[in-house]
Amino acid sequence: MRAVGFTCAYTPLALIHAAGLMPYRLLPTAGDHIPDQAGAILHDNLCPHVKRVLDRGLAGELPDALAGIVLMGSCDAMRRLADAWRVHRPEDPLILLDLPSTSDAADVRSLTGELDELSRTLGRWSGTPVDPGRLRESIVLYAELARLTADLARASSRGALQRWLNRTVTEPPEAVLEELRGAVLAAPGGGVPLYLFGNVLSDPAALELLEECGARIVDDDLCTGSRQLTSLEGDPGAEPLPWLSRRLLERPPCARTLEPAGPGLARRIVERARAAGARGVIAHVLKFCDPYLARLPAVRAALRGAGLPLLVLEGDCTLRSLGQQRTRIEAFVEMLS
Amino acid sequence: MILPYFENLQSGIAAKLETLGANEPRARKRFALEIARLGVRLFSPPRPGERVAWCGVLAPFDLLHAMGVTSCFAEFVGAMLASTGAVEPMLAAAEGAGYSTDCCSYHRAVTGATMQGLMPKPDFLIATSAPCTGGVAVIESLARHFERPLFVIHVPQRTDGRGVVQLADQLRRMVAFVEEQTGEPLDPARLARSMALTNQARELLVELYDLARARPGPARRRDLFNFGLVIGLLLGSEAAVEVARTYRDELNLRVERGVAGVPGERVRLLWLQNRVQFRSPLEEMLENAGAAVVVDELNSVTWEPIDADRPFEGLARRMLSIPLCGPVERRIALLQRLARDYTVDGAVNPCHWGCRQGSGARGLIERGLREVGVPVLNLEVDCVDPRSFAPGQLQTRIEAFAELLSQRGGG
Repeated sequence: MRAVGFTCAYTPLALIHAAGLMPYRLLPTAGDHIPDQAGAILHDNLCPHVKRVLDRGLAGELPDALAGIVLMGSCDAMRRLADAWRVHRPEDPLILLDLPSTSDAADVRSLTGELDELSRTLGRWSGTPVDPGRLRESIVLYAELARLTADLARASSRGALQRWLNRTVTEPPEAVLEELRGAVLAAPGGGVPLYLFGNVLSDPAALELLEECGARIVDDDLCTGSRQLTSLEGDPGAEPLPWLSRRLLERPPCARTLEPAGPGLARRIVERARAAGARGVIAHVLKFCDPYLARLPAVRAALRGAGLPLLVLEGDCTLRSLGQQRTRIEAFVEMLS
Repeated sequence: MILPYFENLQSGIAAKLETLGANEPRARKRFALEIARLGVRLFSPPRPGERVAWCGVLAPFDLLHAMGVTSCFAEFVGAMLASTGAVEPMLAAAEGAGYSTDCCSYHRAVTGATMQGLMPKPDFLIATSAPCTGGVAVIESLARHFERPLFVIHVPQRTDGRGVVQLADQLRRMVAFVEEQTGEPLDPARLARSMALTNQARELLVELYDLARARPGPARRRDLFNFGLVIGLLLGSEAAVEVARTYRDELNLRVERGVAGVPGERVRLLWLQNRVQFRSPLEEMLENAGAAVVVDELNSVTWEPIDADRPFEGLARRMLSIPLCGPVERRIALLQRLARDYTVDGAVNPCHWGCRQGSGARGLIERGLREVGVPVLNLEVDCVDPRSFAPGQLQTRIEAFAELLSQRGGG
């Protein structure tokens, strides 16, 4: 099965799968041997996730059978990734989808138009047009994957869980699903219950490091964690594309998606941390990520008001950057013990 | 603090304009007067029937003007605070609250000013997803801080017919949102008048930019500084037409007389995106090296006249035409065109720290301009935060760059 590279949790994985292609997340954890080149092409002061994905592309660290790349226009950095990829790997078919900034009915219509175009593009890449019946089957498959990983998250060590989460987006999903059905993961340790939010934290060793420091992650809001697989429960009906658009936009939002009339990131974090029984909150935010960095003051204030201590960790997608903050993590956990 | 500044600026410039002789340059002062008047309206205490909206950079200010709303993009405040030397305490306030120094200082300054109670509470806010993600975030944060309604315009990445339809539909919904806030429907006659004034101003802008291409460049050091972006705030009003006409006439006179805006122009430069907003010796350094900034990237008309019968589609096309939207290849194409039109020898990219939209494409832009034989000097400065400004290093690099360009045939 040929692979389609993607980078964002808003990517419609079921649609890619329905075209007979395997969604393959270009995780930024491919290895330290890849040279840093993206900073010179884009700017050093840009999302490390995007830079490392571009570095993977420039180094050819990609699946052998790559049918194309699907990028979501979620933020400036992702758009710059598309710009750079087109210039420096022009041989790769690439589509950049426009991702609405909000999630009202008009946005669902706009995204449906984008998915329709993606569907036709994927059909060209694979030679297999996407039909609604096949899409419904893929939706059922990914719904079960999302359900199983969510179930596992409640009773597993986060490091072990992350290995599975990464596999769901880098291996054929049918095979991963079969294995997941019988999987028993290591139980979480008895550390201090904490809520973890942010963007990209896909290295299992990074989650293990938090656990080694005495943290027990009772819930998360990470785009490589609980937001990686969109919940697709329900009946997509005869027109699955509008249904899929709605599900993508109605999912718990990344900080880049605005909620003009909604609670907003800060309140949502407080509510979820409380609901999970967390004693504190860790923010793991990538350097230069404006959507999250810009909201941190409000998040900090809201958590202070709720009596929930916050530890902010800025990362660059390397374990090294998190390792340097081990003492801060240990001190934070100790304070809450 | 801010209102008295604009009031003093307004009265001072108005008095100065009265005393200017017939042949003395007045365009920049005329422009500054209108900006001061806007500032007074924005920062005055609320008055019955007057509405204020803080917006994203690409908001349709002429449409809002037609609805009786005084509106402005939030970054304007960051630039103003920097230019008046008042920005550092605002930046410190934002940073003290946890705002990262890696974020754009335009946005940090506005956030700090809000925390210091210096930003007037708007009636509502309108965010625009372009030109940058950081700008959307700061408008949303202001809306939450002030607990005021927020409308979000998502500027599509696609610039084709589908993008125009999507954006025009959003502008219609924005009108409905504003009507709900003000309780007053959009008057079609006012809209038509506003669009007509926008088109008049556009024609004059096209003329004045054509004149600015002359050799030697007729525009003085700060004549067109911050011009293209800020004149957008006045579109749809008589003020925009008057300012553009004054500039057009003044540049025309200088071109006819062969007067150089920057005496001793040897090397002609294209400036990318924003200028450095705080007082700095940068322009003097450039001029001492014989270099004149003859064109700014944002000083260009990329849009067709607004069709009076289909104003929303016309406004949508205008927004989508701004090369800061969409793929960077459009921006590079504009830069290449400007480089050719103005026969520049080189380009300066400030690479404003924290700007993912502008600096994020640094290498791609450099490559694109190199394709048309234009070397780029990447300054790597912060355009708003003066604390890290290092003039010594810059002077050496600017002199070396100007010398390189001179040797390549500039001047």
